[in-house]
Amino acid sequence: MRRTTFNNGLRAWWYIVLLFLYGPLAIVVLFSFNSTRTYSSFKGFSLEWYAKLFANETIVNAIYNSMSLAIVSSTLATMLGAILGYGMYRYRHLNLGWLIWFIYLPLVMPDIVYGISQMTFFVTINEATGLLEPGLLTMIIAHISFQIPFVALLVYSRLLQLDPLLFEATQDLYATPWQRAWYFIIPTLQAALISSFFLSFTLSIDDFVISFFTAGPESTTLPIFIWSAIKKGITPEINAISTLMIGAVFTAAAISYAIQRAKPVSKPSQQ
Amino acid sequence: MSSVIPRRKTFGVPGYWGRTTHLLGTIAPGILWIVFFLVLPSFYLMSIAFMSNGPYGLPQMPLTLQSFQELAGFGFLGWSPGNLYTLARSLWQTLIATGLVIMIAYPLAYFISTQPSGRRPLMLLIVVVPSWTNQVIRAFGWMNILAPEAPLSNLAASANLIPSEMGLFPSNFAVVLGLVYNFLPFMVLPLYASFERLDTEIVQAAHDLYAKPVNVFRHAILPQTLPGLMAGTVLVSIPAFGMYVIPELLGGGKSMMIGNLVARQFAAASNWPLGAAAALIMILATLGGLLVLRRLGRRLGGGKEVVL
Repeated sequence: MRRTTFNNGLRAWWYIVLLFLYGPLAIVVLFSFNSTRTYSSFKGFSLEWYAKLFANETIVNAIYNSMSLAIVSSTLATMLGAILGYGMYRYRHLNLGWLIWFIYLPLVMPDIVYGISQMTFFVTINEATGLLEPGLLTMIIAHISFQIPFVALLVYSRLLQLDPLLFEATQDLYATPWQRAWYFIIPTLQAALISSFFLSFTLSIDDFVISFFTAGPESTTLPIFIWSAIKKGITPEINAISTLMIGAVFTAAAISYAIQRAKPVSKPSQQ
Repeated sequence: MSSVIPRRKTFGVPGYWGRTTHLLGTIAPGILWIVFFLVLPSFYLMSIAFMSNGPYGLPQMPLTLQSFQELAGFGFLGWSPGNLYTLARSLWQTLIATGLVIMIAYPLAYFISTQPSGRRPLMLLIVVVPSWTNQVIRAFGWMNILAPEAPLSNLAASANLIPSEMGLFPSNFAVVLGLVYNFLPFMVLPLYASFERLDTEIVQAAHDLYAKPVNVFRHAILPQTLPGLMAGTVLVSIPAFGMYVIPELLGGGKSMMIGNLVARQFAAASNWPLGAAAALIMILATLGGLLVLRRLGRRLGGGKEVVL
């Protein structure tokens, strides 16, 4: 009897927390379809704000910047991070534990310190040499630095689940390192590489603080645009553009969940 | 073809030099990238903290500890506690938010761990997904909810908690709420990992010995979830302490945290050395937290490292 009350309490708590987690997002989505400017009450359904959105050149530009930033940085970070993760795995018997500090650093550094350190560095280099002017390039560099660790850790943990004998098998078949990479490692890591790319992509789209401090006047991304729109005064267009971004994240989450379900990770050690 | 005679048992790359090149070829690009574009800039930022403040807020020689004095409140106009208030507020809000997050996440993580194993990954995903959306948007969502004239603010006003005409934001309350909202998943995940490994026989034994529910929790459950609790506390409190967006949007000028203090020195107020000194404090706090996490991870011996 008391047990059921307890369990029902827990279940209720789960739903309360869900309401807490999804409430703010739901409000944004709901008011993006509101037909009036007020955000205290819902007056009627309309797609007005979405129409205004795509008529606004600044927003279209911001979408373009966000996408280029995310695609370029994720591609490069997936390559760099995968190679690093592979190296960490192959030489894990060497005493490379200290390397993990470099991997952890971008993960734990406060965003604001990260962003400021990038900004001061780029500004100083730019003043001295004229290179690395704040803009998309500096943003891409800054994003790759925080994406690499996630990719490396993902790839590393996937490799740890493999049977080490598989590597020796490629040896016994006289595969050259390049053949082994092409016919064995890359196909084996395919799922990990795809989810690495999606994770990096989400991290990049998601980031505001680091982008904000490394951006130039021409490289406004969506979060930066939303930020300055909020600072100037709330308009329903922000709800509309936010809704699109929320939709994109949820789609990405669904895709990555589907991929993980489709390819259950085999654990040879537990067979 | 490199060689007619196959070389074996060198694990792929032949010879000592081959292996060294392979080692460097795999490890070096990623690590060098991080060293050059992140470690180096961090050291540069830290060195700025020890420079003097130039005419446009830019750093210049000679080296000095002046910015740390300024951070402690000693300015041209004598001592003022503004910066110290900001520091104290950062600590205080972090502390409250972390406490609230623990209270919300603990039953939740337990609940998820009691569900059928096929359902758990999806439940965890449901908890985590909101935190993948942009934090500016999440803060904006709360601005909508806590705005003046919004139902929640009207309710608070009718209960005389706030003057009517005023919203629930900007305020310290809104900042703490935003922090809790932002970091809840960071606590749920490691706690869930602890609950998943929970040895139920110990709990059963406590029940068999007629322990009161309170004591079962204190002696049989809590100690087993301590690693997750500790990891979660570090994962929540460190980034919460350095939060920039939430205090800026939900807090307004009176609820500034240390991250905003840093940002301000590089924008409007422009005093790079002072900002760098505050950033240095944040870096030290972060490293301290990391050390605690590493040590706890080793001592409590969890095989899996909890990293989000």
